[in-house]
Amino acid sequence: MNVRSQISMVFHLDKCIGCHTCSIACKNIWTDRPGAEYMWWNNVETKPGTGFPTAWEDQNKYKGGWDVKNGDLRLRSTGKGRVIFNIFHNPSQPTLDDYYEPWTYDYKNLFDAPEGGDQPTAMPVSLITGDYINVEAGPNWDDDLGGSTIYAANDPNLEGLTAEQREQLAAVERLVFFYFPRICNHCLNPSCVAACPSGALYKRGEDGIVLLDQNRCRAWRSCIAACPYKKTFYNWSTGKSEKCILCFPRLETGQAPACFHSCVGRIRYLGVLLYDAERIEEVGKSPVEELVEAQRSLILDPFDPHVIEAALRNGIHESVIASAQNSPVYQFVKVWQIALPPHIEYRTLPMLFYVPPMAPVMSGKQGDVINHVSEDLFHDIDDARVPMKFLANLFGAGHEGKVRYALRKQKAVRWYRRLLLTVGDVDIATAERMLFEADCTPAEAQAIYELTSLCTFEQRFVIPPAHREEAIQMMEEPLLHKQSVGFGFLSGPQRGA
Amino acid sequence: MSRDMVIRFAREWGTTAKLTKGKCTIIIGAGINHWYHNNLMYRAGIHALMLCGCVGVNGGGLAHYVGQEKLAPMESWSSIALAKDWFGPSRLQNAPSWHYVHTDQWRYEKSFTDYHTVPIHPRYGNLAQGHTMDMQVRAVQNGWLPFYPQFNQNPLELVKEAQAAGAKTNEEIVAYTVKQLKDRKLQFSVEDPDAAENWPRVWFIWRGNALMSSAKGHEYFLKHYLGTHTNAIAEDMAKDSVQTVMWHEKAPEGKMDLVVDLNFRMDTSALYSDIVLPAATWYEKKDLNSTDMHSFIHPLSEAVPPCWESKSDWQIFREIAKKFSELAAKHFPEPVKDIVAVPLAHDTPAEIAQPEIKDWLKGEVDAIPGKTMPGLAVVTRDYKNLYNQFISYGPLVKTNGLSAHGTKYDIQDFYEEALQISPVVTWDGNTYPSLFDDEEACNIVLRFATVTNGELAYRSYQNMEKKVGLPLVHLVEKSRDVRVDFAALLARPQRFINSPMWSGLVTDGRPYAPFTYNVECLVPWRTLTGRQHFYLDHPGYIAFGEHLPTYKPKPLPAEYADLRFSKEAGPTKMLNYLTPHGKWHIHSTYGDNQRMTTLSRGVEPFWINVEDAADINIEDNDWVEVHNDHGVVVTRAAVSARIPRGICIQYHSPERTYSVPRSPLRGDRRAGGHNSLTRVRLKPNLMVGGYGQFTYHFNYWGPTGVNRDTHVLVRKLPELKW
Repeated sequence: MNVRSQISMVFHLDKCIGCHTCSIACKNIWTDRPGAEYMWWNNVETKPGTGFPTAWEDQNKYKGGWDVKNGDLRLRSTGKGRVIFNIFHNPSQPTLDDYYEPWTYDYKNLFDAPEGGDQPTAMPVSLITGDYINVEAGPNWDDDLGGSTIYAANDPNLEGLTAEQREQLAAVERLVFFYFPRICNHCLNPSCVAACPSGALYKRGEDGIVLLDQNRCRAWRSCIAACPYKKTFYNWSTGKSEKCILCFPRLETGQAPACFHSCVGRIRYLGVLLYDAERIEEVGKSPVEELVEAQRSLILDPFDPHVIEAALRNGIHESVIASAQNSPVYQFVKVWQIALPPHIEYRTLPMLFYVPPMAPVMSGKQGDVINHVSEDLFHDIDDARVPMKFLANLFGAGHEGKVRYALRKQKAVRWYRRLLLTVGDVDIATAERMLFEADCTPAEAQAIYELTSLCTFEQRFVIPPAHREEAIQMMEEPLLHKQSVGFGFLSGPQRGA
Repeated sequence: MSRDMVIRFAREWGTTAKLTKGKCTIIIGAGINHWYHNNLMYRAGIHALMLCGCVGVNGGGLAHYVGQEKLAPMESWSSIALAKDWFGPSRLQNAPSWHYVHTDQWRYEKSFTDYHTVPIHPRYGNLAQGHTMDMQVRAVQNGWLPFYPQFNQNPLELVKEAQAAGAKTNEEIVAYTVKQLKDRKLQFSVEDPDAAENWPRVWFIWRGNALMSSAKGHEYFLKHYLGTHTNAIAEDMAKDSVQTVMWHEKAPEGKMDLVVDLNFRMDTSALYSDIVLPAATWYEKKDLNSTDMHSFIHPLSEAVPPCWESKSDWQIFREIAKKFSELAAKHFPEPVKDIVAVPLAHDTPAEIAQPEIKDWLKGEVDAIPGKTMPGLAVVTRDYKNLYNQFISYGPLVKTNGLSAHGTKYDIQDFYEEALQISPVVTWDGNTYPSLFDDEEACNIVLRFATVTNGELAYRSYQNMEKKVGLPLVHLVEKSRDVRVDFAALLARPQRFINSPMWSGLVTDGRPYAPFTYNVECLVPWRTLTGRQHFYLDHPGYIAFGEHLPTYKPKPLPAEYADLRFSKEAGPTKMLNYLTPHGKWHIHSTYGDNQRMTTLSRGVEPFWINVEDAADINIEDNDWVEVHNDHGVVVTRAAVSARIPRGICIQYHSPERTYSVPRSPLRGDRRAGGHNSLTRVRLKPNLMVGGYGQFTYHFNYWGPTGVNRDTHVLVRKLPELKW
């Protein structure tokens, strides 16, 4: 057992209102610079939709992530043999057209326009060329089903849906959409790291944050093609690639990342998971239908004395182990098993998990009359407006079992809460049967309810102490380090110099 | 929806209400408020709540999110904002009526019965017939609604004239004014709004985008207020429908002489103003903030100093007052008397003024100010000292106490204490608590409001106990020693405490839910009977057939005068046009910054159903030209399965400042914004007042500005021109 510590995340999609406050918080802090205008380390997508960059989930086009060939994990974007041919031009790498050309407006015209018979207006101009442009794409172009026949209808996750299901997703009073916020998944088996010819990308030892060394990056952009989530970006101004750093300067001072801190719907959770690094390759090669469970099996029980002992032996601080024991992510992912990884079939073992959304019950249409298809108080999850298959393509590598489990449990929690709140409406036997069938107990249902609905800042974000002293100790003598930090000149005036 | 589904829903609703003791909630956005028959829709929902005992219950009731304004510390705030510490009544105007009249939008429609279904056998004369403008005139004459300018004569001159005619006391000045009105020697301005002496001349726009976001009938604002270019093509049509209002063959254009805008953005209003005064943003000034979305009172603090020349709103108005007083020293060296007409007001005895609708102008009843007609008050103005009064918390609050929503309490001891321990100003030999500085003004608000001063809340409950004969002071016993000041708020936002001004109870961390005070403490509701009302026993409502919430059909496009002059050009579709709140603006604020235009499509797009778009060859992101008699919009189409057929949406509010091409249908003039296609309508029966809960109260009761039943024609833009 090789125990490592990873700061992991859960996004509860039932709570996301699609306000994009997370995106703005991130944009204002990290990517408001020349060359970074088009980057959205954090973005929010409408599902069904094609997202940003457009159709990023279509790996036949972008060839991100890993596949298994001859019993080995292999990068889809490149390989030992092909790297030379693709080094100056990688055909599967997204271009600006796949993202969008960032723009602003010629506001000066409002002041400088010559006198005339009509009011002036500010026309859109490119932030890259400065020329007037025709705005044809943006980072959130298909928001709320805008252009649904072009975007929503071509969501790669519609694969395997029946014609009737697709039709229903495009019919007023029957359709539905939900929001899908995305950041870097800080994967356990990151293809961006593996693809970098310069070794600029690395997974930080103490907390698993995947970082891109700005001094070592040589702009090969292999990471951009290799990341199946398209969460590394090339900065045309600095000539370096960049990515989400999970706001590590904030984490190191005990603050939640900006996108987490600012979340209006309080959908985000953050906490430590302990995992067994020895088994990553084996798990990464699992048969596709076993991937969700296999990844879960990597996550270790932070209360297990053997795990604790092995963790301490690996230099994981006891306060980090205590943090892992309080981790909300551990509850959602491992204990309750209602949070699932996105597109585990890419085999990068993402460490951001999603609670799949409950959706309104489907309605049927007879002539001009709309009717619910279900008589159930809370509908059957198989009658939800989001087809199970769609969620399975997103969160179950196409397999419905884990998604159904997660939704069934959430539904059982609602029944249980209804039982407590409206005595007499729900009969106890039904609620108990539903809990039993959902592999849930009253205590667990109560715990899920509390961490979903009543949770405080401190419960949502259990940030492990940084222990900077340990990191410093590895580099230099702590007392000398202490004298070389602070405001002002870091190297002070010296006699004779 | 099927009948079965409606019945099933009703059963589930009722069952839940029964099992939870009333925890059914209706959450309504701003949308309902903007339909012509908004009151009927609201009442339908409220009835379902009342029938199931859901009103006045935590977790139950009608949560109507139309704006987030809730002035929690209202008593002290209003004493400053409305200058009640120095003067009698202020001139407070309901905006929908004001703009309907002054922008001349009333001239572009005929009788409201063209589109408003009313009972065919009227029981109350011709009340439910005629033109909305005539009803508006009557509402002012009868004291139901305010209107300014009030008379076709300068009120200062009117007082002088009364004095010259022998009036010595204020009562005699009022009596003279009533006689002049009765003899028709003096007229209400609303009776002839297009006469030059009745135009508004100076427009201060403050904390809003009045020319775009709020301007229902934007193009009529451009035409009749500003006298500039307009894309309205509607023609006058009211001539034969109006009876009381004076008709001018040609409507005036450009009524306003001066438009001043306090703003921190170059929005459409700023673009069209004569003077823009740069205002500090929320993070550049000290201020207070409260809302109905939570029960905290928040401080705004000056994180950074105001950029360049900008100033806080408080400082801007203070500096204007200073200059005004300097000039007044020459023009008004002595105090002068003013006469102010005010409507019959909520929370006053005027609520039982008019159990029947009778018209003093027809001699059906005597002309009695404050009962059968507007109240008339003589107010002494000391213009030379206006600035001094601005920066001083005046003496009237010390003698009269404070009040709001029918409550009242004394503050004399706290006022005296403020003179001892707070900053003061001294002029003309008198000393007052200072309002000079922003923070000083905030502290006066906090010190004298019941929600932030437990002792004053206690007194206000004592007063209410006398009115209703029920024990109430216990509601604030635990909070009696609470005192909140600005420094304390900076340290930590604080919840407000129980106060009889508000109907929610918040003791022991309980969330605010309206009317819990009435339900649990048996305090009468603020209605005619003191109970919740199903049946509205009022001639105004009975005449219109709305004594109970009933179904009335939507006004139809043909009769609604949106499309009488507009012509189809090429493949065209007629759609019902909606302008709901957008997800990324608060009206027009925030939506036009670079972040949000990037996250949307660089414009405020025109949302249209997939099949409707296909019918007229419109594809996603095509430029479209949307028009009706009122104006034109050119923007991009967002084609979506989410939009039902027959309707279209442009979220409000776009700006004319960016990305607005020209309109071929209007001779290549620059197109407009969302409100270029709307106009303001008033529902006449919502104007009746002077009776029970239907009595005017500023920002609480009056006709809503209706714009949602509008129809437009849409086509693909043949050629893009900037």
